[in-house]
Amino acid sequence: MRRFRAMNALDIEELEKRYPTGVEALRGVSLRIAPGELFGLLGPNGAGKSTLIHCTTGLAQPTGGTIQVFGHDAIGDYGPARQAVGLAPQEPNLDWFLTVEETLDYHAGYFGMPKRERRERTAELLETFSLTEKADERTRTLSGGMKRRLILARAMMHRPRLLILDEPTAGVDVELRLELWHYVQRINQEGTTILLTTHYLEEAEQLCDRIAFINEGQIVGEGTSAELAARYGAASLEDAYLALVGRKELSRSHIEVEAVS
Amino acid sequence: MSAGQIRFATLWRREVNRFMKIKKQTIGAPLLETFLYISVFGAALGSRVGDLHGIDYVVFVIPGLIMMAWSINSFANNSSSILQQKFQGAIQDQLSSPASPLELLLAFSLGGFMRGLLVALLTFLAASLLVDLPVDHILVLIPALFLVGFFFSQLGVLIGVRAEQFDDVAFAQTFVLQPLIFLGGVFYSASLLPQPFQTLTHFNPIFYMINLVRYGFVGFSEVSVALSLLALTAATAVLFAVNLRLFSRGYRLRA
Repeated sequence: MRRFRAMNALDIEELEKRYPTGVEALRGVSLRIAPGELFGLLGPNGAGKSTLIHCTTGLAQPTGGTIQVFGHDAIGDYGPARQAVGLAPQEPNLDWFLTVEETLDYHAGYFGMPKRERRERTAELLETFSLTEKADERTRTLSGGMKRRLILARAMMHRPRLLILDEPTAGVDVELRLELWHYVQRINQEGTTILLTTHYLEEAEQLCDRIAFINEGQIVGEGTSAELAARYGAASLEDAYLALVGRKELSRSHIEVEAVS
Repeated sequence: MSAGQIRFATLWRREVNRFMKIKKQTIGAPLLETFLYISVFGAALGSRVGDLHGIDYVVFVIPGLIMMAWSINSFANNSSSILQQKFQGAIQDQLSSPASPLELLLAFSLGGFMRGLLVALLTFLAASLLVDLPVDHILVLIPALFLVGFFFSQLGVLIGVRAEQFDDVAFAQTFVLQPLIFLGGVFYSASLLPQPFQTLTHFNPIFYMINLVRYGFVGFSEVSVALSLLALTAATAVLFAVNLRLFSRGYRLRA
């Protein structure tokens, strides 16, 4: 008998990634993100967040397990799978030779968007991200915040159904961070599924429907912020996170108790 | 246009746009270099040399210079474009798109091919103004030049993918490619060399390419034209297959 499973936006099963150096970045990660969800992936540096994202977007090749994006195998059926994904990477990876406008136009072209649609979408996103005045400037002349906006606009150009934001607010000022939060919430409400990795627990707590903690290449906890805190008998998401990544001694309540004693 | 056609056209347009944005370096400099070669070897030395195998020396040299312009520019463009994009991380935008390994490889290859074609064409036009340059065997010349351009485009892609630093590209161009081209008979006929250099020249693959192009222009070759065409076709096909395999495996492109 044929088995039917509800189609997830992202369905990762027993994902493994071992680099040629022998480093095991992912050790049997399984994760499901429903369509329309805003999902947070938290973990310390080197936990495997970026590797998971790279495996999903074709920038890294898994050594085991499966990834499905809206029912399409990310390896065997990579065309439709990648078409559905937009990636805003952690490190700015803009081409210094291109202008802001060209960056968006080329990206949309790689995804097969016709010229007229590209032009309209470019104008729309330049406006949304306050980049219209910078349209003809080369990307290398942009400030850090502007580059961050452009990377997010580029990820949105081909109207992805799943948007992956790899630490989008790392190193940005408060104003831009709030702007990005508003934008992320807006497009999520419009139906875009979002996978967000972040170091900021309050960001995940405020934005995400569900959260997963990843540590040493494994998912060590998953649920809503309240569920995670309750499950681990912690007062806050931060305490639950520290308990799960084995750094309980850094908990504020723990430090306060020690200071009193 | 289908989505796939738009994608391929964009990938290719990006590569052409890249070298056109820095055309002083990518088009102007190679043209000046070729012009200087024609001036020094053609006008200055040529008057002393007279002719080679019954062909005016400057006319003898120009086919080799055209072939050299196409090959070096194809190679340099692709090797530096790929390495630069790897270095900046910008290549991730293409790699995470739905583009297939074949589409990516062809687009990168055609970028260098186009730059080589443009420089070679301008060199040909400039040379035609200076001397009476014949085109004796156009049916050999066109496939020969296209194969040479495609071969060096593939070589540039290979080196660009393998390279981890700019030194790797510079090494391949300065210490391997240029000596092979110079010693392949651009400026002289191999039959004038003493032994064992005459025999050694026959082990240089570029010697056969120069002879093919020279045959196309002036009807003179020191080797079998059919055999050279066949060998060049086979070598280009092998190099393309190797590159396609590297792109399919994501070698040094995907982690």
